[in-house]
Amino acid sequence: MTDKNHLIPPGWDYNPASWSERIPIVVLAMIGFFIAGYLSLYQFEVIDSVWEPFFGDGSVTILNSKVSHVLPIPDAALGAFGYLVDAVTGIIGGTGRWKKMPWIVIVFGLAVGPLGFVSVMLVVFQPVLFSAWCTLCLASAVISIAMIGPAMDEMLASLQFMKKVHKSEASTWKVFWGSSSEIKKVE
Amino acid sequence: MWARIINVLLGLWLMIAPGIFQYSSAAADNGHIAGPIIITFSVVAIWEATRVVRKWNYPIGIWLLVAPWILGYDSTIAIISDIGVGVLVLIFASVRGKVEKSYGGGWSSLWKS
Repeated sequence: MTDKNHLIPPGWDYNPASWSERIPIVVLAMIGFFIAGYLSLYQFEVIDSVWEPFFGDGSVTILNSKVSHVLPIPDAALGAFGYLVDAVTGIIGGTGRWKKMPWIVIVFGLAVGPLGFVSVMLVVFQPVLFSAWCTLCLASAVISIAMIGPAMDEMLASLQFMKKVHKSEASTWKVFWGSSSEIKKVE
Repeated sequence: MWARIINVLLGLWLMIAPGIFQYSSAAADNGHIAGPIIITFSVVAIWEATRVVRKWNYPIGIWLLVAPWILGYDSTIAIISDIGVGVLVLIFASVRGKVEKSYGGGWSSLWKS
């Protein structure tokens, strides 16, 4: 029990890096990965139709739009890659990673938070541009939005820890990359 | 929790109202953009650690109150809908709700010395 308690950040009631906090986010990221991966198979022309129960030609209109092909790789493939980054950075590291591996928590937080938000906005603004809706695109947006809140507490714990490091004798740079000898200096 | 859910529903309303009342152009575009933003901020604010994000809906709510004149809506229903939603979003965004756990001083601890 004491072993668990020392992983709770100062001034917190729980450890935001515990598995029960992280697994649901990783599961959501994997679901997002499969949805975006499926949509990118259509954009890569591996499959020639896409599941669309509500909006008729909506999915096809949006997945073939100029905006979705403005980059060298289709936007759904980028989205799938983003979810993969979310899942991988969500799973790497033990339950003390908010202080033992700040870099991974901060990469995870930035990928799920600001990047997730931007990708959601790109998805949902498509009706403005093309007057069309896409069921699976919206489902993926819902997943991205649901991941942000639960991921940010761990980011907050890491940022608070990095601020403490910055004020201490230890090297902020080395602690950020997880040097255990530097981390000991903070405690 | 309930205040966040209500704002999510208000955001959804902004997204679907243009389709229901068949108004288009600036009023519809505004709903299709403001709706998802309100939904996103409201959902993120459900969790205690990010409850502060509820306040990000203040500028969106205020925008909805002035948008009908800035964008020149021609649909009365759209004007009433946006103003009504704007007022309600501001009210429910101001509800803090229960925060039962502590978070080491929260986000503001990062910029306080």
